[in-house]
Amino acid sequence: MKTSVLLLMMGAVIGQDTGWRTYGLNDAGWRYSELKQIDTGNIAQLAPKWIFQSGLPGTMETTPLVEGGLMYVTGPSNHAYALDLRQGKPIWHYSKTPPKGLGLCCGEVNRGFATIGDRLFKVSIEDTLIALDKASGELLWETQIADHRKGYTGTVAPIAVKNLVVVGTAGAEFGIRGFVDAYDATTGKRVWRFYTVAGPGEPGADTWGNKTTAGEAWQRGGGSTWITGTYDPELNLIYWGTGNPGPDMNGDLRPGDNLFTCSVVALDADTGKLKWHFQFTPHDTHDWDAISDPVLVDLDVGGRKVKSLIQANRNGFFYALDRTNGKMLLAKPYTKVSWASGIGHDGRPKLIAGQEPSDEGTTSCPSLGGGHNWQATAYSPQTGLYYFGSTTGCQIYYKTRHDAIEGQWYQLSTVDDAKGPPLSGAVIAIDPKTGDTKWHYEMLSSPSGGMLATAGGLVFTGDRYGYFIAMDAKTGKVVWKFPAGAGISAPPITYTYEGKQYVAVASGSSIIAFGLP
Amino acid sequence: MLSRVALLFALLAITATAQPANPFAADVQAAGVGKGIFRIYCAPCHGMRGQGGRGPDLTLGVYNSGEHDADLFHTISAGVTGTEMESYGGTLSDENIWRLVAFIRTIGNAATPTAIKGDVPHGRELFRGKGQCSSCHMAEGQGGRSGPNLSRIGRRRSYAYLRASIVDPSADITPGYATVAVILRDGKKITGTERGVDNFTVQVMDLSGNFHSFDKNNVASVTHETKSLMPDNYGRVFTSQEMDDLVSYLSSLRGEISRR
Repeated sequence: MKTSVLLLMMGAVIGQDTGWRTYGLNDAGWRYSELKQIDTGNIAQLAPKWIFQSGLPGTMETTPLVEGGLMYVTGPSNHAYALDLRQGKPIWHYSKTPPKGLGLCCGEVNRGFATIGDRLFKVSIEDTLIALDKASGELLWETQIADHRKGYTGTVAPIAVKNLVVVGTAGAEFGIRGFVDAYDATTGKRVWRFYTVAGPGEPGADTWGNKTTAGEAWQRGGGSTWITGTYDPELNLIYWGTGNPGPDMNGDLRPGDNLFTCSVVALDADTGKLKWHFQFTPHDTHDWDAISDPVLVDLDVGGRKVKSLIQANRNGFFYALDRTNGKMLLAKPYTKVSWASGIGHDGRPKLIAGQEPSDEGTTSCPSLGGGHNWQATAYSPQTGLYYFGSTTGCQIYYKTRHDAIEGQWYQLSTVDDAKGPPLSGAVIAIDPKTGDTKWHYEMLSSPSGGMLATAGGLVFTGDRYGYFIAMDAKTGKVVWKFPAGAGISAPPITYTYEGKQYVAVASGSSIIAFGLP
Repeated sequence: MLSRVALLFALLAITATAQPANPFAADVQAAGVGKGIFRIYCAPCHGMRGQGGRGPDLTLGVYNSGEHDADLFHTISAGVTGTEMESYGGTLSDENIWRLVAFIRTIGNAATPTAIKGDVPHGRELFRGKGQCSSCHMAEGQGGRSGPNLSRIGRRRSYAYLRASIVDPSADITPGYATVAVILRDGKKITGTERGVDNFTVQVMDLSGNFHSFDKNNVASVTHETKSLMPDNYGRVFTSQEMDDLVSYLSSLRGEISRR
C-alpha cells in the first residue's frame, strides 16, 4: 500500500515535469521557457549537477530533447545517446560508422533529434534519415535523403509536423541542388520534396542565367537547408531558410537572382508546395546563407497584430516579414554592412558597387560567417526581445575559377582577414517591432553556442573558450559564468526533473546539466 | 656502425621505392581544385598564396617533412606532431589531399642555395656578435628564448621575408611574441607576452618570465602593443653586405628533417 502511494506521488511529480520536445522548444522556434526557478536572484548558486562525457572526437552541436526522465542527444559522427536525467548515465548508445571522403565544410556534426510518439528521428552525416525506438535506441528504418557521393550531407535537426518528419540537407559548397523534404514517420517513405533551386520549367528558372550557362548552373545551384525551420499550425505553413547559391564566390557562372537561394520559403505542410518566398540576398557571392532560425512572432505593427517571421540574416540586416504572404515589414542593419546602403520597400537590397569578390580580393562587411550565422536564436515574450550572437567586422573575399567535379569543393575561393581590427563579436538584443538594438554585449568573438531565454529573466549562451554564460535578459549584464572546459557550439536547453529546474548544454562532446543546490 | 649506416641506406632505398605517386601530378584541373581546397583549409596559416604566416612559407619549394609528393601527402594527412599542423586525413579524402599536393607543387619554386648571395659563416658571426641576435633567438643550439626560435627558420620563411623582418620587426610579429600591457584597476601595469585571452580572463608572461592571470573585472585596460620587442634599427646597424650575410645565414638554418 505504502509503495503504491509513493509510486502515485512520484508519478504525479514526473507528470508535472517540463521537457524539451522539439529543436526550437516550440513550433515557432522561440527557445523561450516559462520555467523560472532559476532566476536573476539565485543564478549565482547555479552549479553543475552531472557531466556526461561521450569521449568522442569532434564537437556536439545538438539541441538535446528531454522527455520521460531521459535526455536524447546526438553527437558527432553518427553517435546518439539516451541519458538518465538523474546523473547523465547513458541508457542506450546508437552509432553508425560514416563513410570516408564525405564533402564536409565543418565536421561530422549533428544538431539533434525530432520526436513523434515512441520514435526519434535524426539525419546521418551521409545524408540518410533514421528512425530509432525511443526505449531501446534500435534502428526502425533508414531512408536515403540524397547521395553523399554527390556532395550531399546531413547535419540538420528534423522537425515533426503531424506525422511527417521534415528535413533539409547540407552541401552547397559541394555542387548540390538543395531541397526541403518530408517523410512519413511510420514508414520512412518520402511524401514530398521542394527544390530550393528552381529547375527548367519551374517558377524562378529564369534566375539562373540559363542562356549563358546552357542551363546547367541550377544543377549545382546550392541552396542548402542545413538549419531547422519552423511551423505555423494555423496557416499550415512550414518556414525554412535556404543557403548560398553555388559556386559561392563566383557569381559569373549563374547570372540572375538564383531563386530560391538565400531566401526563406513558406511551404504547405501537406504538399510541400511553395506558398511564398522572400529572398534576402539576390545573387549572393559572399556565402550569406539565410539559414538562421525563422522565428514566428506576432508583432504589433502600426496598431495591428501581424503574424510575422523575424530573422537576423547573415547579410547583416535584421528582417521582419508578414508570414502570411512574405511581404517585408522592416529591415535594419544590426552590424557593420558595406555591400548595401539599405533594403528597399520591395525587399531588394540597395547595392553598393565594387563589393563583389575578385581575383585580387575585395574587402566587404560583414564577414563570410555573416553578422549572424546558424547559432540558435531566442525570443522572449517577457522582454519582447530577440536574442542572437553576432560577428562584427569585414573580410577580404577572393574569387577563383575551376571546373566542377561531382561531390568535390565547388566554392570557387574564400576569404582572408582584412587589414585593421580583427573580427569581434557580441550578443545582441533587438526589439523586433522596430529592429532597434536594445542592448549589445561586446565579446572577443561571436558566442559559438546558441541562445536560451527563460521566464527567470535570463538569457543563456556559451562561447568558443568554453564559458557557459547567463545574462540578464533586460540589460545584457553577465550575471553568471562557468568555464566548462571545451568550446560550446550548441544551444542550451532547460527542463525540470523531479520538480527541479535544470539548464543543460553541450561543451565539446560532453553534456553538462546545471541546477540549484 | 657501418652496418647501421648500410641498413639505414637500405631502409631509405625501400622507402624511396615505396613512395606512392600523386595520381594528379601536373594535372592543371586538379591543381585548380586543390587551390580551392588550399584557400579553405591551408590559407588561414600558410597565407592565401602559400607565402607563409603562422605556418611555413610553401613557395620555397623545400618542406620541413621531406621533398617527395608522398611526404607532402603524409604531412597533410597525418599532421606534424608537436606543431600547429593538424591532421587532415579525417577531414579530406585522399584524392583531395593529392589535389592539394598538386596545387602546392605549382607554387613551390624550389629555391636553391643559389638564391642566397651572402657569406653564411660571416652571417653566423654577425648573429652571435655585432647583432646580438642570439641573446634573444635560439639557432644551432645556442641563444636566448625571449624571441622566436630560429633553428629551422630557413625552411619556414623566404629570403625576402627574413630580410624585411630584420629591418621592420613590427610588420609581422610571430604569434605568441606580441607584447601586451595590462593595467589593473589599482593602477599597476604589467607588460609582457600574451599567453591567453578569453571573454573573461587574460594571461601574461612578463619580461622576467613570471606568469600572471587576471580576471577582466580587475583589469582597467588591455593594450596590444603593435611594436615588436626587437630593436628596429638593424637597417642602419648593418651594411648592405652584412645584411646579405645575415639573411644568408638565417636561410641556411634548416634544422633536421623530421623523419617519420
